[in-house]
Amino acid sequence: MTPQMLILATLIVPLVGAAIAAVSRSTKAARGIALVAVLVNLALTAWLVLPVIPELIARAPVPTDAEPLSFSPLHTLKFDLLPFASEPGKPSPALQFYVGLDGLNVWLVLLTSFLMVPAVLVSWTAIEDRGAEFYAWLLALAMPMLGVFYAFDSILFYVFFELTLVPLYFMIGIWGGPMRRDAARKFFLFTLAGGVIALLGLIGITIAVRNRTGELTFAIPRLIELVQQHLRAGDPTTMAYWKQAQWLVFLALTAGFAVKVPLFPVHTWLPLAHVEAPTAGSVLLAGVLLKLGTYGFLRIAIPLCPDAALAVGAPLLCTLACIGIVYGALCAFAQQDVKKLVAYSSVSHMGFCVLGLFALNSAGINGGLLQMVNHGLSTGGLFLLVGMLYERYHTRMIPDYSGMAARLKVLSVFMVFICLSSVGMPGLNGFVGEMLILAGAWSVQAPGVSGAWLASVVCVGIFLGGWYLFTMLKRVFFGPLHEPHHDHHAPPVADLNARELCALVPIAIACIVLGLWPQPIIDSARRDVNTVVKICDGARDRAAVVKGE
Amino acid sequence: MSDVLWLIPVLPLAAAVLVGLFGKLLRGQSHWPVVAAIAGSACVSLYAVVQLHHQSGPVAVLRSTPLPWFSAGGVNIDFQLVVDPITAVMLTAITFIGTWISIYSIGYMHDDPGYPRYFAVFSGFVFSMCGLVLTDNLLVLYGFWEGVGLCSYLLIGFWFAKPSAAAAARKAFLVTRLGDAAFVLGIFLLWNKFGTLEFEELFQAARAQPNEPILLTACLLLFCGAVGKSAQFPLHVWLPDAMEGPTPASALIHAATMVTAGVYLVGRTMPLFVAAPAALATVAVIGTITALLAALIALTQHDLKRVMAYSTVSQLGYMFAALGSGQGDLAAFAVTAAIFHLFTHAFFKALLFLASGSVMHAMGHVIDMRRIGGLRKALPITHWTFFIGAMALAGLPPFSGFWSKDEILAVAKEAGHGSAYHAAYLFVFYGLLLTALLTAFYTSRAYFRTFWGPEVIPAEAGHHGHSHDDHGHDHDHHASEPAGPGVAHESPFVMTGPLIVLAIGAACVGGLLAVTHGFAHFLGHTSDFVKYLPKHEHHADYGLMALSAGLSVVGIFSAWWIYVRNPKTAGAMARAVPRLYALSQNRFYLDEIYGWLAVGPLTAIAVISRVFDMLVDGIVDIIGRVPRFFGGLFRPVQNGLVQFYALATVLGLVVFIFVLAYLRGEKGAW
Repeated sequence: MTPQMLILATLIVPLVGAAIAAVSRSTKAARGIALVAVLVNLALTAWLVLPVIPELIARAPVPTDAEPLSFSPLHTLKFDLLPFASEPGKPSPALQFYVGLDGLNVWLVLLTSFLMVPAVLVSWTAIEDRGAEFYAWLLALAMPMLGVFYAFDSILFYVFFELTLVPLYFMIGIWGGPMRRDAARKFFLFTLAGGVIALLGLIGITIAVRNRTGELTFAIPRLIELVQQHLRAGDPTTMAYWKQAQWLVFLALTAGFAVKVPLFPVHTWLPLAHVEAPTAGSVLLAGVLLKLGTYGFLRIAIPLCPDAALAVGAPLLCTLACIGIVYGALCAFAQQDVKKLVAYSSVSHMGFCVLGLFALNSAGINGGLLQMVNHGLSTGGLFLLVGMLYERYHTRMIPDYSGMAARLKVLSVFMVFICLSSVGMPGLNGFVGEMLILAGAWSVQAPGVSGAWLASVVCVGIFLGGWYLFTMLKRVFFGPLHEPHHDHHAPPVADLNARELCALVPIAIACIVLGLWPQPIIDSARRDVNTVVKICDGARDRAAVVKGE
Repeated sequence: MSDVLWLIPVLPLAAAVLVGLFGKLLRGQSHWPVVAAIAGSACVSLYAVVQLHHQSGPVAVLRSTPLPWFSAGGVNIDFQLVVDPITAVMLTAITFIGTWISIYSIGYMHDDPGYPRYFAVFSGFVFSMCGLVLTDNLLVLYGFWEGVGLCSYLLIGFWFAKPSAAAAARKAFLVTRLGDAAFVLGIFLLWNKFGTLEFEELFQAARAQPNEPILLTACLLLFCGAVGKSAQFPLHVWLPDAMEGPTPASALIHAATMVTAGVYLVGRTMPLFVAAPAALATVAVIGTITALLAALIALTQHDLKRVMAYSTVSQLGYMFAALGSGQGDLAAFAVTAAIFHLFTHAFFKALLFLASGSVMHAMGHVIDMRRIGGLRKALPITHWTFFIGAMALAGLPPFSGFWSKDEILAVAKEAGHGSAYHAAYLFVFYGLLLTALLTAFYTSRAYFRTFWGPEVIPAEAGHHGHSHDDHGHDHDHHASEPAGPGVAHESPFVMTGPLIVLAIGAACVGGLLAVTHGFAHFLGHTSDFVKYLPKHEHHADYGLMALSAGLSVVGIFSAWWIYVRNPKTAGAMARAVPRLYALSQNRFYLDEIYGWLAVGPLTAIAVISRVFDMLVDGIVDIIGRVPRFFGGLFRPVQNGLVQFYALATVLGLVVFIFVLAYLRGEKGAW
């Protein structure tokens, strides 16, 4: 199979699985189908991704001056979905189905397929009611999640971006906790509103490019290339135009992506959605869906609007990220609900990620990219473990627990392990990303941003991360054993079973492997990161020239 | 050939993984891989020492082939093992003493349900510490540094069901992590300035730009890390609580690993500190304050292990005072003195902790000196080995501690001459002298109260079981326990053997290495010394030696006078100065002060943040109601009455026509 066919296959398999699961008679059949589907999908993704990684690493590290300064995805697949009328002899402009792989999306694609497996496994016994529907929605979620990473057409990106909302809306709204309706509605409206504004930005840049160049295109690499051509030509009259266009587009895109990340102060949908969502939903929400925001910044907002990203993005988003890091950590500490604690820790950790990206230098962007994958693994793992605890005792309140390490030994070992990964213990995955973000923050060069301050906030965040997680560990897992009230006629609560171990062990192994050997991610993304950095450097040069005048 | 160095960290790591994964199968045999691995590391370390010794030329160094870790955005990190004399000394202390502590643990931990877990973490601890001293890169050092912190967390919280142990573990992790946050900030400040994190390149860059203000900031930030890890004031509060772990683990933390990391860090990065004299003075003053403060606290503690813990804090302060005194051409001498004291201290402090553990083992885990006494007959081997350790700590010649302490005093004395920070170093020198006196006193006090006087054996004695539920420091409740003497047995040979070996070390190592100048010569071949630290000829200061020995004798004698000769004086003295006594007894109330000033406010801010977040959410909800509000405003219009709609249509049409007419009229286009 060619990589193009594999890309299509990874999009179709979950949908087919969802269709079969939807019509299956029982929960048991549905979950079996779901497991097969996600495993097949993981195998296909691995088949797709693993051979591509050496190709990605083998690329020249930086685009030469002869090449267009833009992304150049491999194994692209393009066909027109909605062609517009065109003049004869010219390629017809169209909304395209344009997908491909490059260093920025390849690991996120793998992460998505990888996390689908524990998401199915952890729902195995937790979902009893309307199981067929549940697994259908769960599988249906995989398609847009993968699609949004594959997409290189801005409108296709947007379509997948918004399509992720539908399955999760139903998962939260039907199988969620007591406040599921509120949570689902808030989650949906919040992200939809952001997304629609982002769509304005996407259309805006298309029109802006068309006005100046006469070329109508929705392809992200082509848009970046055209914008770069104009910016680098440096004609003063067009510069004013591009500056204004970038400002508006950047702010519109930021509205959409900031909600998704989520950044302070538009984060309030997240804790509610997490607490109410079923475990599988939380895992995918934290593990994959939050990355759509940071991925959007990296793929679209920064390369398309580098001057705006430098002038307004760096001061604004770095400040919001810093607030998010500290504020998220403080809120996490004060929670009584373990799941809410983990949700707020996501706010804090995603703040690191945004801070790295908007340092707009190589170390920071590399760190932000690594942190996306790392946060997916470690926070995904935390939600799995919290879900497993909840399934046993039906409470998530920290004061209800004490000394669980004596009763649930293996679960506690995994909990400590994942917490260590989350706080950036060296040798585990979080460390390298955090250190690169710190390096990027120190060496940030943007107007109105002080590297020393950013780095100090990162360090405060590193400390606070340990503070809330280890306090939680102490309260829930250590001290004298005190189990929450549960049915005493039932057999004593058992430790992790084989199914749960199958969900956790691969994540733990991935944490170790990426901690010791993060270089494949860095190397495969090198060209793309350098492209973004070069675009940002250009913006910095232009800003310096303006200042000099 | 130098790749054999990889064995030093890899052996303990392999043992840790093996025991960690297959502990359930190994059970009571879990110690074998660990003891063998650490002993193997010790052999390779000794081999490295011999190799270094035989190298000709001024610089002695062994390097392994580098192994890349990651490289992105100008941060290039390799694992490369480098053994130079400082590292070799550290390795010897870690692995040699680690081996004996692990053997001792076989006896001490023998029927604990967490036996495999203990040995797995123990081995991981030794691995992290070896890695820490073997690397030539600041970020890799930081990596192992965190690994050390993690292992200490797991060992201190080993009996996690005990609330005090769980609390102590978390406290140790968080307090040291506070220092670490500053440490890593400093690391990347250096990276940002110099573009590298390798020691050699950093040192060259620092030499090229002395008195660079960034160096001062960076050195102070690095020192913050050392303050946390090495339990210096004001972050020393975790170390005394850390005794909640098993006693051999305390011995490991206090002697061979963990707390020595900070001293090593400052010693290793001395070429940076030399370029920032103000940072050095800060190190010296903080070290002296710590030494004094901890010695004052140790005077009145009743818990034998707690006395030892504060003595560790105090002795580490000594080492930092020595390092900080390395102004100008004293730098190499200062590092030598500090590392020498680290080395001798490792022997006698490991010995003292293990001997205290042996007392605990015999006393059924009672360690309160008010409940034990006169044990010299019941525990003869423990008694003699403890005696040697205590005298070494007290600085009585010819035991080890005397020689290294004397060198530190000599550095501190010379640092005052002609330095810009003359007053600071005067304080350091006299502070250290006073500390020497106090150390001799409180050490002897602990010794005499435990082993002399009438024999007092608590009822729990003879129970060797590690039922850790009752193993605690709840001294206040002892009145209710059953009266009547227990039976005390000397510990088994697997425990007393290590005591004897370490006692020989504590007695002889210092004298041998000091008199022959072997230690200073060996360290003198460190490349940092040769290249970056100026040479300084040091002559033995016999007057100072006599003074130091005299202080030690005075301290020991007065302790004997007060606690053996006239046992009632102690209480009378405490009653004479109740405020001071309470201050010392309550550790200067520092824990309470931190509770008010740091922990409380931070928790309060967290709660406020949580409430504020509800507010933010509320505002969002209000915004969410805006459309509904407007919808509600116009809803009455949609009332379903056809007449109303018809009326509205007609009215609308009329309004529309009038407006149209008016607009046309404005334009005058009729």
